[in-house]
Amino acid sequence: MLTPLEIEAVSLSLWVASWSTLTVLPLAIVAALILARAEFWGKSLFDGIIHLPLVLPPVVIGYLLLITLGTRGVIGSWLLETFGIRLIFTSAGASVAAGVMSFPLMVRAIRLAIEAIDGGLEAAARTLGAGPIDRFLTITLPLTLPGILSGAVMAFAASLGEFGATITFVSNIPGETRTLPLAIYTATQTPDGDLEAARLVALSFTLSLSALILSEWLGRRVRRMMGRP
Amino acid sequence: MLDIAIKRRQGSFDLDIAFQAPSQGVTALFGPSGSGKSSVINAIAGLSRPDAGHILLDGAVLFDSARRVDVPVEKRRVGYVFQDSRLFPHMSVLDNLLYGLRRVPQGERRIELEPVAKLLGIDPLLKRRPHTLSGGERQRVAVGRALLAQPRILLMDEPLASLDAARKAEILPYIERLRDELNIPIVFVSHSADEVVRLATTLVLVADGRVRATGTVAELSVRLDLDGAIGGPEAGAVLDTTVVSHDPDSRLTALRFNGGELTVPLLSLGIGQPLRVRIQARDVILALEPPSRISVHNMLEGRIIELGEATGPSRDVKIDLGGSFLLARVTQHSVERLGLAVGTPVFALVKSVAFDRVFPGPAGKHIAL
Amino acid sequence: MRVSKGLPNRRLFGKVTLAAAALGLLIGISPQARASDHTLVMAAASMKDSLEEVAKLYERDTGRKVALSFAASSALAKQIEQQAPADIFISADLDWMDYLAKRDLIKPESRSNLVGNKLVLIAPKAIASPITVEKGNFPLLQRLGNSRLATGEPNSVPVGKYAKAALTHLGVWNEVELKLVRAESVRSALAFVSRGEALLGIVYETDAKVDKGVEVIGAFPTDSHPAIIYPIARTATSKAPDAQAFLDFVKSPAAFDVFRKYGFSAAPAPQG
Repeated sequence: MLTPLEIEAVSLSLWVASWSTLTVLPLAIVAALILARAEFWGKSLFDGIIHLPLVLPPVVIGYLLLITLGTRGVIGSWLLETFGIRLIFTSAGASVAAGVMSFPLMVRAIRLAIEAIDGGLEAAARTLGAGPIDRFLTITLPLTLPGILSGAVMAFAASLGEFGATITFVSNIPGETRTLPLAIYTATQTPDGDLEAARLVALSFTLSLSALILSEWLGRRVRRMMGRP
Repeated sequence: MLDIAIKRRQGSFDLDIAFQAPSQGVTALFGPSGSGKSSVINAIAGLSRPDAGHILLDGAVLFDSARRVDVPVEKRRVGYVFQDSRLFPHMSVLDNLLYGLRRVPQGERRIELEPVAKLLGIDPLLKRRPHTLSGGERQRVAVGRALLAQPRILLMDEPLASLDAARKAEILPYIERLRDELNIPIVFVSHSADEVVRLATTLVLVADGRVRATGTVAELSVRLDLDGAIGGPEAGAVLDTTVVSHDPDSRLTALRFNGGELTVPLLSLGIGQPLRVRIQARDVILALEPPSRISVHNMLEGRIIELGEATGPSRDVKIDLGGSFLLARVTQHSVERLGLAVGTPVFALVKSVAFDRVFPGPAGKHIAL
Repeated sequence: MRVSKGLPNRRLFGKVTLAAAALGLLIGISPQARASDHTLVMAAASMKDSLEEVAKLYERDTGRKVALSFAASSALAKQIEQQAPADIFISADLDWMDYLAKRDLIKPESRSNLVGNKLVLIAPKAIASPITVEKGNFPLLQRLGNSRLATGEPNSVPVGKYAKAALTHLGVWNEVELKLVRAESVRSALAFVSRGEALLGIVYETDAKVDKGVEVIGAFPTDSHPAIIYPIARTATSKAPDAQAFLDFVKSPAAFDVFRKYGFSAAPAPQG
């Protein structure tokens, strides 16, 4: 039914998207908390930097990743020397690229969910003796859960489609970085590759649609659990 | 006991409040919207910080600007009932109730779930979710949650304001029970004269960020200098009475108060039961001699002790009944016609059927209005 | 119905006019409107620096500008197939020109071979050391070690196709296939080596010359791969009035001097 090439592309896409979403999620929660609750000098700048992947061309982001996280880059060389970790040309690197591109989406969704929480509930929790971490764990986090889930799925779906930053940073290596979008691109560049491209496009469509439907269902279940009708 | 004296400036609003709330009964903060009442209990809770002053609870310092003490909210052990209940939507009623309790060390848990649930009638609600409850039910759960947090003081910020008349009537008796059975100060903020007259043991009148008057409801209800702050056109003396006897044949009940007796239509109350009664000033007629062959049952002998300002056609007259006071509203014309002045002995006439405003007094039984 | 001359109507009218003007301006300056004016050349990525210089010469001589677009020949051919408004196409191999010819997308009478090139093995300058490139004596895998070899995508990009042919001929293709970085153009592969991310690369000799960060460590024997020929032709839909003039200029001796400076060789004449 599916050729080995297609199976490889799909499983790689799922792997990359899953890892990128999971690793970026805690960072996104922290960033969203800061943006929703904290006031400090430079907050707008912080907000702007977080949203850069949304407005900059993906290739630019990929290039920035290349010069910072490549083996000669500031952070990349440190990673290589200290931990032996190489990100370029690897699926780990593809996850990083996908993660960076989908980060602002996650932050936005979570931030909105946090801001939607009635601030009075926190005041009530304080009067009942709950300190800041206690309140975060028992009040803020559970009430933000639907938003976190929605942000995570959005990021997952976006990661499935990430192309520009991926191909610029980690290039197009079968089995490592050739996710569905890159496989589609390769097929379109190959003479008479249009049939293969069409098959891959159909696969990509199915995958993304399933992700979105799953997110809807999950969101509804969580909302019910949280007591919203 | 609560001892509070604070100052706070916010923009153009200047707050300068000082009062004490005893450990028993309800201390009501009463005044119009924006007078600073909510700022006061937020300061007691620690949700806002005054610029200067002190807040002491049973001798323990919650706030003292001079000594730079400001105990954080979560450590103050205050029970706060918010106007909008603020129940946690993602928890069941039971989990809401236990939220504060769980954060108190085992050894300090005096107030327990069952008695509170019984007191507030919320047993059948325990497994439900807040969004399925009515407004009155939600507020009762909110009260229960605050109580179970083992508070040293109970703060209630207009808890009945967002309820309709039926829900209010449903929950008032529960608050009266709290007043009578709890041993911690209850500070109750309200802008409704009815609520305050019914519930308060001590009344603190607040206006423009200042305390205008403090005292019992009875005392403040007859003060002429408060321009009917309590009750407006329905202003009148509030008397705490006790039931002394019933006469089933004539369908009348006798109530004794400090300074006399009142005859009212038959009430289904036991002998000795306390009852708080309001006599509206406009229901009081003044006579220089007791009239005969008249339908009025209550002719209370007293002496004019104060006359209100002569603004408009009517004038308020304060009468000393020897222990209690009464307010009468008569026309300025009559004041001149009868030569009413401070010191004039008078008879205050009140119709028995004018007593359609009865509330249970402190530690009193509930009667439907 | 009374037509009001009041302020609100004037404001609305003003807004509509402004919007219409803006729209008109946008349409006016859109590329579409100017497309037919400038000659658009789509050329293989490896031609970048040399062709730019040729175009400058042309402008200096005739005062006319041309638009240049560089990418892998495979990408460009696909774009022309999708009706990209190119006037001239220069490919890095014959296959992709044949691809367009088969689909009647070029003017066959305008086709000729422009230049030739050589295939070389490169390494980052800092660690470059020579290696023998002979059949049976090509320690490529050893030299690679843990690292990767960057070249164009072997299925589509010309430099990758030449590289695959050469590596197969030399008997090392199977070993190194999994260690490839399959870049989407020869310049992309060049950049990876230049940056030290890939320790080896297969590019054209002309690319190695323009990048100071790499050094040629070996050259592929010319019999190990099909001859590297750059054909040039006008597209079937070419409309620019200037296109033929520029095409002739690119084939002129003056232009060839520039190409030779960059390391291109003369192309053999077309066969058959």
